[in-house]
Amino acid sequence: MSKKTARALVSTMIIGGALALLLSISLSEGAQYYKHVDEVMVSPEQWYGKNLQMHGFVVDDSHFVNPKTLEHKFSVRTGAHVVNATFTGVVPDTFKNGSEVVLTGQLSADGFKVAPGGVMAKCPSKYEAGKTGSAGK
Amino acid sequence: MSSLGTFLILTAFVVASGACAASIAGARRQQRNLVFGGLGLFHVVTALMVVASAVLVHAFVVGDYGIRYVQRYSNAEQPLFYKLASYWGGLDGSLMFWATLLAAFGSVAVYVNRERHRLLIPWVVAVISLVEMFFLFLMVIHNNPFETYLTTRPTAGEGLNPLLQNFYMAIHPPLLYLGFVGMTIPFAFGIAALATGQLDDSWLRAVRRWTMSAWLFLTVGLALGALWAYEELGWGGYWGWDPVENAGLLPWFTGTAFLHSVMVQERRGMMKVWNVSLVIVTFFLTIFGTFMTRSGVVQSVHAFGEDRELALMFTVFMVALLTVSFGLVVYRMPLLRARNELDSWASREAAFMANNWVLLFAAFFVLFATMFPTLSEALRGERLTVGPSFFNKWMAPVGMILLFLTGVGPLMAWRKTAFSSLRQQLLWPVLGGLTAGSGAVALGIPFWSSGLCFGLCGFVSTTILQEFWRGALVRRQTTGTDLFTALVGLFARSRRRYAGYIIHLGIVLIFLGFAGGGFGREEMANLEPGQQIELPPFMVRHIALTVTDDGRKQMVTAEVEVLQDGKSLGRMYPARWFWRNRESEPTTEIALRRGFAGDLYVNLAQYEPATQTATLEVKINPLVNWIWFGVGVMFIGTIIALLPERAMAFATSRVPEGAVTTTMVLILAAAFGVASLHAQHVVPSQTVSVVARTPLERRLQGEIICMCGNCGRKRVGECTCLKANQMREEIARLTKEGKTYDEIIQYYIAQYGSQEVLSAPLNQGFNRLAWFFPYAVGAAGVGLIGVLAVRWSRRNRVTPGTAATPAYDAALERRLDDELRDLD
Repeated sequence: MSKKTARALVSTMIIGGALALLLSISLSEGAQYYKHVDEVMVSPEQWYGKNLQMHGFVVDDSHFVNPKTLEHKFSVRTGAHVVNATFTGVVPDTFKNGSEVVLTGQLSADGFKVAPGGVMAKCPSKYEAGKTGSAGK
Repeated sequence: MSSLGTFLILTAFVVASGACAASIAGARRQQRNLVFGGLGLFHVVTALMVVASAVLVHAFVVGDYGIRYVQRYSNAEQPLFYKLASYWGGLDGSLMFWATLLAAFGSVAVYVNRERHRLLIPWVVAVISLVEMFFLFLMVIHNNPFETYLTTRPTAGEGLNPLLQNFYMAIHPPLLYLGFVGMTIPFAFGIAALATGQLDDSWLRAVRRWTMSAWLFLTVGLALGALWAYEELGWGGYWGWDPVENAGLLPWFTGTAFLHSVMVQERRGMMKVWNVSLVIVTFFLTIFGTFMTRSGVVQSVHAFGEDRELALMFTVFMVALLTVSFGLVVYRMPLLRARNELDSWASREAAFMANNWVLLFAAFFVLFATMFPTLSEALRGERLTVGPSFFNKWMAPVGMILLFLTGVGPLMAWRKTAFSSLRQQLLWPVLGGLTAGSGAVALGIPFWSSGLCFGLCGFVSTTILQEFWRGALVRRQTTGTDLFTALVGLFARSRRRYAGYIIHLGIVLIFLGFAGGGFGREEMANLEPGQQIELPPFMVRHIALTVTDDGRKQMVTAEVEVLQDGKSLGRMYPARWFWRNRESEPTTEIALRRGFAGDLYVNLAQYEPATQTATLEVKINPLVNWIWFGVGVMFIGTIIALLPERAMAFATSRVPEGAVTTTMVLILAAAFGVASLHAQHVVPSQTVSVVARTPLERRLQGEIICMCGNCGRKRVGECTCLKANQMREEIARLTKEGKTYDEIIQYYIAQYGSQEVLSAPLNQGFNRLAWFFPYAVGAAGVGLIGVLAVRWSRRNRVTPGTAATPAYDAALERRLDDELRDLD
């Protein structure tokens, strides 16, 4: 191996290593678990305080909103498991009873508290009716 | 009709396989007849796809709901424009649209290059045919847009999702597809060069323009998608790092890298393996993006449905693509050796390399983060996701490095830059950067979130201005013309380079818009009529809530007044629309007051018609419009770069001195005149077409304007304010009373004391002048251009016995060329 190649290899390894280290640090801070309601609610205690993205369907007629404070209360279900969620803010246009949602936030004994801007709702639209679409953030 | 469509797709598949086989056989046996046969067959595929598209469009227009796809994505009420847009509104149609565009692009590309690149063409046809066959295969076996209902034929369609019934959304997908499809052409030429071993720079010359066009389509497509998200989704942002958005961004990064590194190969004969690999990777990413968004492998807000069968087919295609492509690269490695080595790290080629590494890193980081949930599930059995903040944390520094390189690159010389020259070149840009950065910090803007970006924007724009200034000075000296003429002459002499600077200027403007995001503000409150939200320098007062209906949708509209320093700036109308048959999915119609300093963004979050209360979300999005403006500048720069050489020859040969200056001044005056009009214009978010009951009512609604004083003279049929509502009711009352058109017009003229209430003056008496005037001006303009064209061309004709024009003698031309070359 020539001196030049060795130098290039070492530089690449140092830069690559530094980037990999930074990436793993920021991943451990920024990553969230992506779970369905039933996966979490089997033993909810072990998920308390963890950053979660929770996938489920809004239970029919469970959505209530205080128009003055924009406090939303609703239940989300996957299979037989249900979790109560609270959120303050503006929900996307596609959020409604029965819609498929992904909520970002944390679980506690009081229920699932959705982080600001943490409601993503899917809607029947673009590619597969009944499943898909573009929704607000 | 559906059988005809299916038959056409099947035939296209068979003919495409014929084109592929004939081309490969022709290339290997070196038989021209077979090669021409392959070419001809490929054109037949294009014709078949165009006819198949026409059949599908016809089905949409006439409402043939027996076809599943038509029934699912359109209905009778949809305007024609959105019926046409429904063609690519769903998965099956989007695949067909892709295949049609690919065939059309391929036909043009092979036709243009058929003589110049004789050896490559059969392989190009073979590669494009193979890709075409893949998409046709998907349609034949899995996603046929002509599939019909087997039992009862529905009588009505479901309609395109209201969210997608937006102008930007209708044109954003086709532009993105054009970008994706366009990247197939450079790939096909790259593979052809590898297959034939013709790996000199000629294949690069053939694909440069194609890549640039595809890149332009991608850029504009991405920008329109962002604009759609900003205006339609009601969350106040324009980019959320969603997998669907990222799918378009990935090939953009590698395409941008290729457009830069191709210059290194052309000038220095280096980076050959890199360039051919970039072309392969860019094409791969277009396919991968499609796979990612349509197979359900990645969870997305957009969530394009899970389809394991489709995922499998895409996977097989991608694995084959990578194996064959990189197999060929390895096989041809001996022919891909660089002609030169890197002389110094302080050189332009090194700057390009750095830019390529950063762009490639950006592409792979976005790919990694997008695929992270899938990867983590595969590796750890647990699905982990990362949010927009994770992307922003990484991509903001990457963006800053790229912006910095945008400024440094042009200052470097090829091969090696002397330190003294670099110091001299850097002086003004560094001063510009420091001034902009410190100015921003002095204004209280945080350094890390925005100040640094402002500083770098200052640095890069000073670099660009300096390049134009120095170039124009040199050219003025050598040609003796004025500065403006010299400036335009620069484009004629070194078009790609200076067009590139304009594109960089667009990038700077876009980054200005990004920097603005660092100090946006927002407030939200539940307001009764008369109450207000303060968000300095604005105050937004809630006036009233109205519920109207135009036959297609019910609209809940809040009327709010915007005040600044106690003075009213006008009214805004944020709304929620409830479309017929989709009442449970209201769409948010935000109201925007656009400005160069920023947008005032008002969203009706909640409402209570009984009490007239509205929860309003008010945001100030600083500098956001510079993003769209920057994309416009990039568009202009790319178009200049794409112009044929002779298009600008006028700047050096035909136009008399001073003519360019006058033209530039006129263009600038026109541009800024229009810009100031836009800057003052309040744009309400929605146009409401209220159903008129009779043709007379409709005609009157189109000819009488709203007299509220705040709507910018909108026609009452289009205006959403309360006054327009009253005027519409009045028109309805007058027509019901049996009044004629003339009587109603006279009634309004009498009421407002002049013809000001009419959208156009009455065509009678003195007013005819107003009608006549535009035609007269137009005719005079055409006449003037004709006369000038004749005079200018005469002036340059050299008559025997007289000397040629001294300003353009050959010696000066040569000197100028030499000096400009030194600048490169």
